[in-house]
Amino acid sequence: MTELDTGGIVQVSDGGVSVEIKGEAMTLNIGPQHPSTHGVLRLVAEVDGERISKLDPVVGYMHRGKEKLAEVRTYAQITALINRIDWVSGFANEVGFVIGVERLMGIEPPPRAQYIRLILTELTRISNHLVFASSYPLELGAATPLMYAFREREHIMDVIESVTGGRFHPNFNRVGGVKPAAGGGKTQKKVSLDLPAGFYAAAANAMDRAEVACDELDELVTGNEIIQVRAKNVGVISREDVLAYGISGPNARASGIEFDLRKHEDILPYSDFDWNVAVRHHGDSFDRYLVRMDEIRESIKIVRQAIANVPSGPLQAKVPRVLKVPPGSVYVRTENPKGEMGYYIVSQGGRVPYRVKIRSASFSNISMMSKVAVGQLIPDLVATMGSLDFVLGDVDR
Amino acid sequence: MTDSPSDTTEAPSPLDTFAAELATKVGAARWTADYGTIHIYVNRDQWVAAATTARDEADLGFFSWLSAVDWSKDVEVGEPAADVEDLEERYEILCRLASVNTSAAVILSTSVAKDDAWLDTLVPVYAGANWHEREAAEMFGVNFVGHPNLVKLYLPSGFEGHPLRKSFALGARTVKPWPGTVDVEELPSTTNVEAGEGS
Repeated sequence: MTELDTGGIVQVSDGGVSVEIKGEAMTLNIGPQHPSTHGVLRLVAEVDGERISKLDPVVGYMHRGKEKLAEVRTYAQITALINRIDWVSGFANEVGFVIGVERLMGIEPPPRAQYIRLILTELTRISNHLVFASSYPLELGAATPLMYAFREREHIMDVIESVTGGRFHPNFNRVGGVKPAAGGGKTQKKVSLDLPAGFYAAAANAMDRAEVACDELDELVTGNEIIQVRAKNVGVISREDVLAYGISGPNARASGIEFDLRKHEDILPYSDFDWNVAVRHHGDSFDRYLVRMDEIRESIKIVRQAIANVPSGPLQAKVPRVLKVPPGSVYVRTENPKGEMGYYIVSQGGRVPYRVKIRSASFSNISMMSKVAVGQLIPDLVATMGSLDFVLGDVDR
Repeated sequence: MTDSPSDTTEAPSPLDTFAAELATKVGAARWTADYGTIHIYVNRDQWVAAATTARDEADLGFFSWLSAVDWSKDVEVGEPAADVEDLEERYEILCRLASVNTSAAVILSTSVAKDDAWLDTLVPVYAGANWHEREAAEMFGVNFVGHPNLVKLYLPSGFEGHPLRKSFALGARTVKPWPGTVDVEELPSTTNVEAGEGS
């Protein structure tokens, strides 16, 4: 055979020899429209083959400037603004802000209002986690769990709607308590200044169904071999990174950090109930999924205890008609389903705040994507991203 | 600790004690612990050292957020500050640090002059400060010296101006004053609240 200059390409006939072909790095643009981005997020990835060598998240497509808008709105108007930050858990967004205003004004909401806030926050948490438990398998290629989780979530949404009148954007919190004219509708206006008739039974039923949904999801997803292979040991976040990047909520608790603002902050009467903080220790995508499944069950426990013990009494404390908040600044953080949701409110004594800084969980949670993604394969990036459970409204605010 | 609330006769609360101890550690001139929120006021040259001390010696390793407040005599949007006469024009930069073992947390605060708005970056101490500083830089026009990638985060790269400055007008309010003609609630100024008018 004549000798050919093969230019370094090893011929197949030389079989058994493998050479590494050093390709040029390629820039891959993922998004802004991509099903796994939960909104509009663009990821600029530098890839070598399928392996990511550099990742640069580009955010801001959903930036609505809520902090600026809050500066020209009265305190009562701002709740309507902020429950749209993380639209999957609208109610939970409102609580921290009104509690911040209450602290500045020295108002203590009545126990009944606190219980209603707590119950609705936990219902929101279950609903949020059910959305996660359905969309995460979907991103990994399993479409069926979505049907199961959304079916049961609908009962929870019905309960939230029956109390607040809204499914996604309840706008139900008022400074000093909760909206007094909940539920009922026009026909029973006089007797419906409180929780609607049948609320406790409906909530109890929704909890039973959510529990069944958890068991079903366990069978469909948790034990599923494909899901486990896709998620285990993928996107491991160390304890140090959790702290340095300010990752909070279930994402932090999956890395072995037993920190839950429901236990550590005296915001709502969680200490009245018997429940545990869900913690896992591997810090991988699968543990982040498991923590949320555990949290659904803990939240069911909390709601069941809470609806059995709702104190009677007024829904609102005495609040001046025009809210003028004394000068001062306060930071209140609450355990949103996605992590630490906080509001830093600077008041200068007027009807509108001088400045509101919104600390949202997803912002910090995905700010470390560029670190965790390096060295990953592209499909693993999707598995990691999905497990962080972010919403772009919560990132961009 | 001259300016601090500890000179009352009652015993200091645990919050006060914690704030006072940390303020001493970082060499801060002033601290407050109102409304359950601890502020520790440090000078610009102490900024990075204070954050490092808080992390290493006070267990405040959790980086919660960093942002700023524009203290301005003239405001294009919203209501003006309380005592405008005595107000010192400045950007107040705030950084919230917390513990994940206890409920301890503080807000570090420093102020920079408006014509000299720069601050050393916290990225080497807390990696998560990266995005927060990018946001504060584009929104307030504060330069974070030593930041690895101080490009715009939310705004388009060609955007001019710094939206969260008080001198930056809000477009929607310029076009149409609020409230519009249809508003659910009368403006308090048009209603005699004390006399109990309105429904």
